[in-house]
Amino acid sequence: MEHFSTHVVHNAPICERYHVMKLGWPPRFAPPLPGQFLTIQPPPGTGALLRRPFAVSDYDPLLSQIEIVYERRGSVTRHLAACRTGERLDILAPLGRPFPEPTGNARPVLLAGGIGMGPMFFLATSLLTRNKNPVLILGARDSTLIPELPLFERIDIIIATDDGSRGLHGTSIDALHSFETDGNDMNTEYFACGPMPMLRALALHADQTARKCWVSIEQTMGCAVGACMGCVIPVHGGNGYARVCTEGPIFDSREIAWT
Amino acid sequence: MDLTVRIGDVTVSNPVGVASGTFGYGSEYEQLIDLKSIGALFTKAVTWEPRPGNRIPRIIETTSGLLNSIGLANVGREGFAKEKYPFLSGLSCSTFVNVAGNTEDDYARTVEWLDEHAPLTGYELNVSCPNVKEGGLSIGGSPRMVEVVTRRVRAVTDKPVIVKLTPNVTDITEIARAAEAAGADALSAMNTLVGMVIDVDACRSVLPGKTGGLSGPAVLPVGVAIVYRVSRAVSIPVIGIGGIDGPDSALQYLLAGASALQIGTANFVDPTVTDRVLEGIRSFLSHHNLTAAGEIAGLLDR
Ligand SMILES: Cc1cc2nc3c(=O)[nH]c(=O)nc-3n(C[C@H](O)[C@H](O)[C@H](O)COP(=O)(O)OP(=O)(O)OC[C@H]3O[C@@H](n4cnc5c(N)ncnc54)[C@H](O)[C@@H]3O)c2cc1C
Ligand SMILES: Cc1cc2nc3c(=O)[nH]c(=O)nc-3n(C[C@H](O)[C@H](O)[C@H](O)COP(=O)(O)O)c2cc1C
Ligand code: FES
Repeated sequence: MEHFSTHVVHNAPICERYHVMKLGWPPRFAPPLPGQFLTIQPPPGTGALLRRPFAVSDYDPLLSQIEIVYERRGSVTRHLAACRTGERLDILAPLGRPFPEPTGNARPVLLAGGIGMGPMFFLATSLLTRNKNPVLILGARDSTLIPELPLFERIDIIIATDDGSRGLHGTSIDALHSFETDGNDMNTEYFACGPMPMLRALALHADQTARKCWVSIEQTMGCAVGACMGCVIPVHGGNGYARVCTEGPIFDSREIAWT
Repeated sequence: MDLTVRIGDVTVSNPVGVASGTFGYGSEYEQLIDLKSIGALFTKAVTWEPRPGNRIPRIIETTSGLLNSIGLANVGREGFAKEKYPFLSGLSCSTFVNVAGNTEDDYARTVEWLDEHAPLTGYELNVSCPNVKEGGLSIGGSPRMVEVVTRRVRAVTDKPVIVKLTPNVTDITEIARAAEAAGADALSAMNTLVGMVIDVDACRSVLPGKTGGLSGPAVLPVGVAIVYRVSRAVSIPVIGIGGIDGPDSALQYLLAGASALQIGTANFVDPTVTDRVLEGIRSFLSHHNLTAAGEIAGLLDR
């Protein structure tokens, strides 16, 4: 875990409302892993207090850069969208537990819902590099929220939109079902990040089909280092709660007490 | 330059501490700051039995503030002794266990047990808790209850006992005097202010428990005024807490009469805030040709 000031190397929109930002990552730091996140201190003038968490969406050891994909939502992300190359940001990273390795020779099926795509891109790239043959299912509300990325040329990808304006008409879960009924119903393991209803549906499906399923969970954070107990979610076992910032954000879907 | 602070029989190395509930048990921040540089570490509340804490969501940002409803989530005295104590006991800064309870017995028995099984520098009593025997009224809201709780704890330990005052009372000086009379070595002022945020679209409170505790820059002027009044009502040291996020806010407390400080929410925003504050105090002292932090309060225009 490092606390440092770094500079923006690249910052640009990739589709409606979503942007990508690359930041300098000092080479002496340990590399971030897929599933881990960072926090950014709200820059002066945003009127915001708490650091904002974002999943790492890529890491380039050669250029010493990390990347995030973020959605313009409120004061801090609007400020980020206007950041120019060279501007400095205060970063805490890498935080949280990464995605585990796929078990045995299971084929990794990666599900991304909306802005949950960031960590799935990182995992996809890392699995491709290691010849793990991942499938990426990307669900969005409509075609304006689907970026065009070089990664998509290299990976088996299925796109689904709620309104059918691009790819399959339906949710990422619908896309998963059609992928599986197309004869891909074999030895797979799920990795996912997206809205809670999507993760809940996936966890249920994983339970019914006895597959392993790893989900990335979001929760409002205070410290992001395990000190404040502010970011918990209900889990089975222990005292009934786990901290998303340290025990997560990646959880085995069976650990979570879905409500 | 003398930055030390006396709390009971103990000398704390400098006036900058970290507040209960915002710094875990120290190990969480080990990779981020040099723990030797802080004066005192106040742990998350420890209760007799473990507590899971409140329902979610537990925190929400407000204008310049943080509203929390963590609910004293902690591993209980035995978990504390087993899992947290070994790390804390190895630290060179002063370490105070923040103790909470729901009856007068809770505080004394927890302190007595910790004194035997997990002795650190001393205790800070979090009296901002509902008293289950008196219909859930806050212990810290009653001078009589604060006096009873403090006296009971005083009787079972020789270590410094600090009483942490809640601002959610009618006359805080009355509570402060009750704690002093019962043998408290110092007072911490203040805990969080009761607050509430309503989601207008959903027509319901954002926190499941309806209200929470407000902290952060928003509460700074409230804390400074409380320390100003309390430090004039008692003769024991007062530790200023609430909204400190840098040298200026810290110096406001010291000028108002605080002998020491605790920083809470600001650790979340900038883990190096304690260093910045200590540096700020040092340069203020040299700027005013003072030799000890304790002399700062004397500068306040009367
Ligand atoms: C582990 C983790 C990873 C995340 N990864 C990404 C990511 O890769 N890309 C991305 O765009 N966003 C991500 N988020 C959400 C991101 O942190 C929020 O969108 C951001 O904090 C909004 O800040 P703001 O000031 O722009 O908006 P605000 O005005 O603060 O809030 C706008 C809305 O964002 C939501 N929000 C605010 N704070 C949080 C928070 N701490 N967690 C979740 N939602 C919040 C609320 O619903 C709020 O109504 C992640 C959150 C977590 C916890
Ligand atoms: C997340 C959180 C948890 C807290 N937990 C405790 C606690 O367990 N015991 C206690 O006495 N005070 C607790 N507090 C109060 C702080 O110690 C401090 O009094 C308050 O936050 C005001 O200081 P600040 O504005 O610097 O945060 C907590 C505060 C926060 C924000
Ligand atoms: S955000 Fe503080 S414990 Fe997770």
